[in-house]
This record gives sequence, C-alpha cells and structure tokens, in this order.
Amino acid sequence: MASLLETNLVNGLAALVMLAAFMMVASSRMQSLVRTFALQSLALGALAASVAYLTGAEHIYIVAALTIGIKAIAIPRFLSYVMERINVQREVEKIVHTPTSLLVCAGLAVLAYYVAAPIIEQGTVITRNAMALSLGVVLIGLFMMISRRKAMSQVIGLLCMENGLFMAAISATYGMPLIVELGIFFDVLVLVIIVGMLAFRINRTFDSLDTSFMRRLRE
Amino acid sequence: MNAVILPVIQALFVLAIAPLLTGIIRKLKAWMQSRRGPPLLQPYYDLYKLFRKDSVVSKDSSWMTTVAPYVCMTAMLVAALLVPVFVTESMGFMGDLIVVVYLFAMARLFMALAALDAGSTFGGMGSSREMLVSSLVEPTILLAIFTTALIAGTTNLGGISSAIASSGLDLVRPALFLAFAGFFIAVLAENARVPFDNPATHLELTMIHEGMLLEYSGKQLALMEWSSMTKLALFTVIAWNAFFPWGIALEAQPLPLLIGIVVIVAKMLVLVFAIALIESSIAKMRLFRLPNLLTGSLLLAFLAVMTFYVL
Amino acid sequence: MVSELLLPAAIITALAGAAAAMMLEKREERCLDVSFGAAAIVSLLILAVGLDVLLGSNLDLSIGQGIMVPTAPIIHLRVDKLSSLFLIALGVVGLAASVYSRGYAKEYSGHYSLARFGALFNLFILSLLLVFSASNLILFLVSWEFMSLTSFFLVIYEHRKEGTLRSGVLYLVMTHLGTAMIIAGLVPIALQAGSLEFSVMSGAGALMDPTVRSASFLLLFLGFGTKAGLVPLHAWLPQAHPAAPSSVSALMSGIMVKTAVFMLIRSVFDFLGSPTVWWGLLVLLVGAISALVGVLYALVERDMKKALAYSSIENVGIIMIALGASMVFLAYGFAQLAALALIAALLHSLYHALFKGLLFLGAGAVANATGTRDLERMGGLARKMKWTGAIFFVGVLSIAAIPPLNGFISEWLVFQSLFLSFSFSDVVVNLLLAAALGMLALTGALAAACFVRMYGTAFLARPRSSEAAEAKEVPKSMLAGMGVLAVLCILTGLLSASILPAIDSVSASVLHVSIRDSLSNGISIGTPGGNFSSMSPLLVAIVGVAVIVAVLYLTRFYGGRTKTTVSDTWDCGTPLTSRNEYTPTGFSQPVNRVFNVFYRSKPQITVLEERSPYLRKLSFSTSVPPMFERYLYDPIVKLVAGLAKRAGVIQTGSIQTYLAYIAVTLVVLLLLFR
Repeated sequence: MASLLETNLVNGLAALVMLAAFMMVASSRMQSLVRTFALQSLALGALAASVAYLTGAEHIYIVAALTIGIKAIAIPRFLSYVMERINVQREVEKIVHTPTSLLVCAGLAVLAYYVAAPIIEQGTVITRNAMALSLGVVLIGLFMMISRRKAMSQVIGLLCMENGLFMAAISATYGMPLIVELGIFFDVLVLVIIVGMLAFRINRTFDSLDTSFMRRLRE
Repeated sequence: MNAVILPVIQALFVLAIAPLLTGIIRKLKAWMQSRRGPPLLQPYYDLYKLFRKDSVVSKDSSWMTTVAPYVCMTAMLVAALLVPVFVTESMGFMGDLIVVVYLFAMARLFMALAALDAGSTFGGMGSSREMLVSSLVEPTILLAIFTTALIAGTTNLGGISSAIASSGLDLVRPALFLAFAGFFIAVLAENARVPFDNPATHLELTMIHEGMLLEYSGKQLALMEWSSMTKLALFTVIAWNAFFPWGIALEAQPLPLLIGIVVIVAKMLVLVFAIALIESSIAKMRLFRLPNLLTGSLLLAFLAVMTFYVL
Repeated sequence: MVSELLLPAAIITALAGAAAAMMLEKREERCLDVSFGAAAIVSLLILAVGLDVLLGSNLDLSIGQGIMVPTAPIIHLRVDKLSSLFLIALGVVGLAASVYSRGYAKEYSGHYSLARFGALFNLFILSLLLVFSASNLILFLVSWEFMSLTSFFLVIYEHRKEGTLRSGVLYLVMTHLGTAMIIAGLVPIALQAGSLEFSVMSGAGALMDPTVRSASFLLLFLGFGTKAGLVPLHAWLPQAHPAAPSSVSALMSGIMVKTAVFMLIRSVFDFLGSPTVWWGLLVLLVGAISALVGVLYALVERDMKKALAYSSIENVGIIMIALGASMVFLAYGFAQLAALALIAALLHSLYHALFKGLLFLGAGAVANATGTRDLERMGGLARKMKWTGAIFFVGVLSIAAIPPLNGFISEWLVFQSLFLSFSFSDVVVNLLLAAALGMLALTGALAAACFVRMYGTAFLARPRSSEAAEAKEVPKSMLAGMGVLAVLCILTGLLSASILPAIDSVSASVLHVSIRDSLSNGISIGTPGGNFSSMSPLLVAIVGVAVIVAVLYLTRFYGGRTKTTVSDTWDCGTPLTSRNEYTPTGFSQPVNRVFNVFYRSKPQITVLEERSPYLRKLSFSTSVPPMFERYLYDPIVKLVAGLAKRAGVIQTGSIQTYLAYIAVTLVVLLLLFR
C-alpha cells in the first residue's frame, strides 16, 4: 500500500490536471489558453512519471517524456506560431459566458464522478480515484469544443479530451502498451499540424477563424 | 484564566498590528512601482491625527451613522477574540467560524446602511456594489470553511488549527490547497483589494469600500479605518490558521508561544507581500467582470469539496 | 390539566368575538375594542395551551361525546408536542397582530366594514387553531378549508383596490388545487390504516406498497408545497399576502405557511415513516431553488409588502432545506443528525413567524403613515417615525441573520446540519448537499442585501415624496404589537440555548431520538456526534456589549473631547435633493445585471419628442417580467380555458336537451347495472 505522501502526490497532480481544464474554460485570451494547456500536459507528464516511479513500470517513463516533450512543449509552441502568423484576434469568443460555463463544467465533473463510481469501487491501482477526474476532463474538453467559436479553441478542446483519456488510461491500467501510446502521439502531432495548415486556409478564405462562418458552406 | 487572557491578548495584538500591515502593503506597492512611498508607520500617524479631529455629520443622517462605527469596531474585536492567532486557545466555545463570518456580515450591514444614510450618490453606489460583491463571495467562503471543517472534524477555528497542526502532514490533501486558493480570492474581495476595488482611490467609478466611508470624519472615520485594517489582518490570520496552521502554539508555554508569534507574523508578511504583488501587477476589474472571477473562486471551493470526497 | 379548559374557552371566545363584532357594526370604537380584545384573549389562551403541552404532556380533548352520533364526539381535538410548538407561534403572533390591529383598523373606518374585519380576524385565528389541533382527517380538512375561506375573505377585504380581487381569485384557485392534492395524498394512508384518526394513521406507511407510498408523498409534497409557497407553485403568495391587511399578512406569512410545514412533517415522519433518500433530496433541492428564487425576486421588488412575501418564500425554502436534510439523514440511518436538522427546521419556522410577523406589521405601519407601499416614494422615515424605525430595524437584523438575534441561531443550525453531511457513503448525495450549502450561503447574503435595500431606502436619508416627508408616528397600539415581537426576537436569540431543549422534545416526539445533552447546556448550543461545533449567543452578546462600552469609553477620551458639527452631505457644489439619492431600483441594478439570465429584464427606451438630433425627450422604463406567470401559469390557464370552452358545448340552454341528457344517462345506467 502506498504511503500517504505518495497517494497525495498522485492525487494532487490529478487534481491539478482537472484544475487546468477548468482554467482553460475560464480563459478569455488565446495565449493563456495555450499556456494553460501546456501546464496541463506538464502536470500529466509529471503524473505519469510519478506513477512510473511508484510502480516500477519503466515504459511509462518514455510515455511521460513524450507527453512533456510533445504536448507540453512542441504543440503549444506550434500553436502559438500559427496564431502569430495569421494574426488571430486575442479574444476567445464564447457562445456560453464564463460563469455559466464554469457552473456547467462543475455539474459535468459531478456527473463524471457519478458515472465513474462503480469503476472506482472495483479498482485496485493506486490511481483509481483519478478515474473520475479524467472522465471529467474529457467531458470538459467536449464542452469546450461545443461552446467556443474559434477553430483554435476547438483544437485545444480536442487536445484536452485526449489528455483526459490519457489520464484515464494511466489511472485504470498503468498506461496502454507502448506501441499504442506511440501511435496516439504521432496521430496527435499530425492532427495539430494539419489543423495548423487548415487554419491558414480558413483564415485566408474568411479572414477570421470564427467557425460560424463555415456554415455558409451549406448554401 | 488562560481561556480569557490569551484571547484578549491575541485580539489586542491583531488590533495593534493591523495598521502596520496596511503600511507595509502601501510601502511594498510603492517600491514595486519605483516610488519611495509613505512611511511604514503612516497608518498609525493617520489614526492618531483622526482621533484628535472634530467631526462633521450630515443633517440628513439618522442614528445609524452615529452607531455604525462603534458596531463595526465591536464586531471586529469580538471576531478577533474568536480567532486563534499565535496559540490555539481562543474564545471558540463562544462561537465558531460561522459566527466569525456572520460577525463580518454584521459589520458590513451597518457600514452599508450608514452609507445610504447620508443620501449621497457615492454612498449608495458603494453600498449597492458592496452588497453585490459580498453576496457572490459568501458561497466561496462557506464552502472553503466546509472543506477545512471536513478535514479537521470541527468548525471551531481553534479546533481546526490544533487538529491540522498536531497531526503532522497526515491531513494534507489537494483539497486543502484548492480551498486555500478559493479563500485567498475571497480575502481580496472582502477587503476591497485590487482586482475588486482600489483601496487608494477617490474616484467614484472605482469605489466600493471608499465610497461607503466618504461621509465620515474625525473619530468615527478613525474607527471605520481601523476596523477595515483589522478585518484584513483577521482574514490573513484565518487564511493561515484554517488551512496551513503549522507553527501555531499548541499549548500556552513560553517557547511555543514565542515561536507562534514569530511564525504568524512571518505568515502575515508573506500574504501581505502576495497582496501587494497582485495589486501592482493587475488592474482593477470592471464591476461586471467580477462575477466571472468570483464564480471561478466558487468553483475552486467546490472542487476542494469534491476532491475531498473523491480523492 | 388546565388546558382542557383553556382550549374550549379559546374556541368559544373566538366565536363570541366574531358574533359580537358583527352585532356592533354601528359603533366603531366599541366594535374594534371587542373584536380585537377577543382576538387577543384567544391568542393568549392558545399560547397558554401551547406552553402547557410543550412543557407538560399531550392534550386529548373530546367535546360533545354522543350528542350527534352515539359513538363519536362532535369535535375531537388533540394537541401533541408538534402542534404545541406551532400553537405557541400562533399565540404570540396572534397576540401581537390583535393588539396592532386595534390601531391599524382605524384606517378602514368609513371605507370598509370594520365589523367584518374584526369578525373574520377572530374566525381566521380560530381556523388556524383547529388546523393545528385536529385529531382526524375530516376535522383537519374542514378546518383547512375554513382557514382558506376566512383568509380569502380577508385577502379581498379591500375589494375596491385595484388587483385585490384578482389576487384573491388566484389564491382561491391555488389553495384548492393544493387541497385536492392533499386529499389525494392522505386518503391512501387512511385507507391503509383503516381509520381517519391521526393517531391510528401513525406509522401506516410502513405497510403500504412502496409505489403507493411514494405517490402519496409526492402528492402531499405538492399539495402542502402550494400552501407553503414552494417554487413553482408560489405565484399566488406575492399577490395574496400583500393584498390582505397587514396584521393578516403577518398571520398568513408567519403562521399559515407553517401549517403546511407542520402537516408535511406529520405526514412524512409520522404517517409515512422512514423516508427514502430521493424524497429528502427532492425536498432539499426544491427548497434550495425556492430560497434562491424568492430572494432574487425580493431584491428587485418595489412594493414593500410584496418584497416581504417573496422573502417568505425564501425562508420557507430554507425550512425545506433543513427538512430535506433531515429526511436524507433518516434514510441513511443517522437518527441523531436527522434530529438536529429537524430541530433546525422547527426553530426556523418559529423564529421566522416572529420576525416576519414583525416586518409585516412594520410595513403596515409605514403604509399607514405614508399612504403608499412603494419603496420608491419613501425615505427619511427613521427620523419621522422614530419608534417604528427602531423596531423595524430589529426585524431587519433578525432576518439578515445577524448574531446574536434569533434569525442567526436558526440559520446557524441549518448550516451545521448541512455541514454534518460528510458521513454518507454515496458521494453524489454529499456533493448535492454541498451544492445546497453553497446556495444557502448565497441566499443568506442576498437576503441581507435585500433588507439593507429595504431599510436604507425606506427609513434612511431624505424623503423621496411629500407623503414620506409628512409621515407621522403610528398609534401606540400598533407600536405595542410590533414591540412585543421585537423584544421576543432579541430574547429568543439570546436565550436560544434554554429554548432548544423544548424544541428537542418536539423532535423527539416525532423521531423518537433526543439529542438534548449534546444540543444545549443552557448557555451554549452544540451539535451531536463528537464536539463538531458549539456557539453561545448569550456569551457573544455579553462580550459584545462589554466591548462596545469599552470602545465608546476609549474613543471618547482618547485624543480629547471633539466637537461634532451638523452640516450638509458632501455635494460637490450642487445642492442635493431627493433625486440624488440611490433609488431601490438602482440599488439592486448590479444584482439584476449579474443574474440577468434569471431575470431577463429588458429596459425599454422610447423617444417621446425629437426637436433636433441633439435635443430628444426619452422615456426609460425597466421591469422584471413575471417569468413563472408568463411561461408556466398562463399557458396552463389558457389550456384549461380552451378545454372548458370545448366542454361548454353541452351547455345548450335548452331544457329539452338537459332532459334528454338525464334520460340517456338513466338508460345507460339501467343497462349497466342490470
């Protein structure tokens, strides 16, 4: 059985990942959104590293390093570069205002706990409590995609969901087989590069990244 | 006898050190803004001066204006008796944290009514905004208190600090940090600090607290100013002793008491430094942007409760 | 015991008072003396009965055994501990309202019949007495209907005033809807128990089918919720309570909504027994939402009495929060914590009756003196009506939950019962209780804001109209009535620790568990289950007084004696008029904007005159639309009216058709029951 300090460390990092998700919902500027995402990925990497240290499963170290390298450093820098190049407006345009969206996300977190409770009962791993938080992060990421106008913020919502899934994987089974992890990372990297390129095109066509313009495609 | 003497000493200690804390904040802000700033003891000089001045009372006001300064000061002092400062002994059997929160509410009620009493628009504005901000902060404060009461097993502040302090690091959980973060935002809101209010201003657009004090002068103004400074000092003490009370004296012996005094003063300075830093780095927010921030702090407190149960 | 004489005496005095009032129609002074004197005596008798039973033993009274029917009495009354608590509240508020009405009713002289007021007042108090002491279902329903009728006639008393009749009709419809649901809820229990006597129905729920039991609970909750004013069945309350004369409003808000609380407690804990978790959560959440909705509407209301009515909705919500928590605790088997929550609910019911009664009487005094209920036209009354101002302020302090007055004590207990919810195994329930805690905190703070607004705009600063400037103090009888309640608010707050053991005996009679020892030791109030928290209002008050004297003394002498000059408010150079003061609408405007999702108020700006692009005359108006009426009530009313119109086809007006209907029905029945 893990000592209190270790459990607290793991739980604290999981709480920090969820807190970062909330901070992303509350951000009103694109730059802070990207930076908060970097913080979340950093916390996630640290979580993975501490799980690796406490359980002795070494392949998780590699995964943790990849998380920090790609999601906490490379992707945020790339997104900032893209935003700078196309001169994206600094505001995060929201469909739902901040206080309401924060309250909705709190409700989603409770819902996530309600759904995850039976799984937690059966779990034996050190991080089983983090299951509820990871499901919450996924739901919050989904909410972010729904309630934001700009294409960039929707990408970050997708990445947040991915972070949540990763945390769920760590907390349930100590991570997936290494090759699956590598595949996912590669997918995410390519996804972001494609979105970056698309952002250039969207901006050139509509002179803005507001996705509500794309509804014109219907006509 | 300990149960009576120690709380009285602690209350007087807080009362005495409160103007110094305000002076330190002003000095730190000045340094961060590359100014020399007023002398550290300026608040004391101000109080000294105000007690000797005549006062002017509006002809439109009623008994409320006369009564309010005394009630505010009394509320702060009674609250100070209930809060453990450097030793876990306080008159806590008489009232727990909820009583303390509502004593602050009493002071605020009288201050807001007195502001309406003179019939000036500044007072009305300050009063109306103050009631808005304090209403939105109240859930955060209560949920933060709830979290720490859950962790420590009591709502009596002396009990909380002794429970957490005497159990080493056993009771440390993420919930404690989240609750502290939410409570810190509440500290800024309740004490009229940037980004909620500008305590140095005399422009009506940025006034909440200052607007309510506009009609006061002389001794009454001294009492109101002093009670606001005491409120800030009490909030910093509560912020530490409810969440991270290590260093507080668990028994009334000379050595622990000395350590307790030194530790609480150091902690107060840390928090005051953080406040000064925040005040110098960010601008005061528009009034109708404040609900965003306050919902965020409510969320922090709610997450604290949730992580207590979940993790 | 002496109550056996006092209770019939109360009934007889009430009837005699009503009859005497009607006979003294012509002689006004005598009529007022007799009718309200009788009401005061009735209230005192009720108070005595209540105290006797609470501190002693239950009362079982049968009157007229065997006169009409061989085996049953005409009336069978039963006062147990639960009833006694509410009878005490009735007695106190009734006494204050009666004394107050002696002076208040003078206003109606020449406009409306004073005799009718006096008679109805007595009958109303009588009906409330009967509701609390009914021992069987029939008597209860009859007195419930009697109560609804007398209060209806009192609501439409000022029938020539605009809107009164409408409010009365809405009230009548809603209360009968509620009564229908109550009957539907109580009948299954009576069927199961095989008797209409409440004492036999006790515990009948344990043997009922679970679905029927839950259905019965839901119907009872909806029915009593209508009477109590729970959202969304509350729309009648802010219309009916202000329309009635102020002393009657005090009784309605203070006592009549508590009849619903009383019977709900009896139904759930006594008849149905062992509530399930979702019942408790439903009550808790509906209570929390009602509290928040009530206080939010109270904050933007211009009419003083309407704002007080919305505040009653808020306080009923708080009582329901405590009740719901109690049910949840009981469902999980924590009997002691359930007792604590129930005590909190009972205490808040009692204290709310005291301070809300006081506030309504005060609002009546203000309306009398200024001729208006509109806060926008008041101001400066604290200097013109010194006593009313001071007494009303006690009510404001109580309702804003300022220590050490009584409102704070009951709110503290509700908070504590929610705080102690960490013992559950189901985390979602814990989180819902935490959410309710947050909503309760928000409600309490907004309530304080609401009453700062009310007191500040009505009593402080300058008068906003000539009526307010010419206001005079009200007659002594009105002051006496209010003063009694104010003194009680202070005393019950300070001496709460001594009152709580009595309340504990009430909850023990319902839940069969007593927490007397951990609850109170005479000076401080505590919580069960291991020293969680404690508080002593008496000590806080003593220390507070000591400190304020010290502060006064030290301030006087430190820095020497200083002079105080009276001068103008700082005015930036322009003389200040009443237009410069903050208006009640302006005061609540920030809250209106922040919660605009809820209020949906839209300002309307119309251009009246435009002489040039730079000189325009505009009209600005803003209001809070009645959301519940518009989106819930009106559609339902339209639907029912439409259906009624369709069904109205059978009313052809021709006698032959009606005879044909009878003939067809006769033939069908004959065939069916061959």
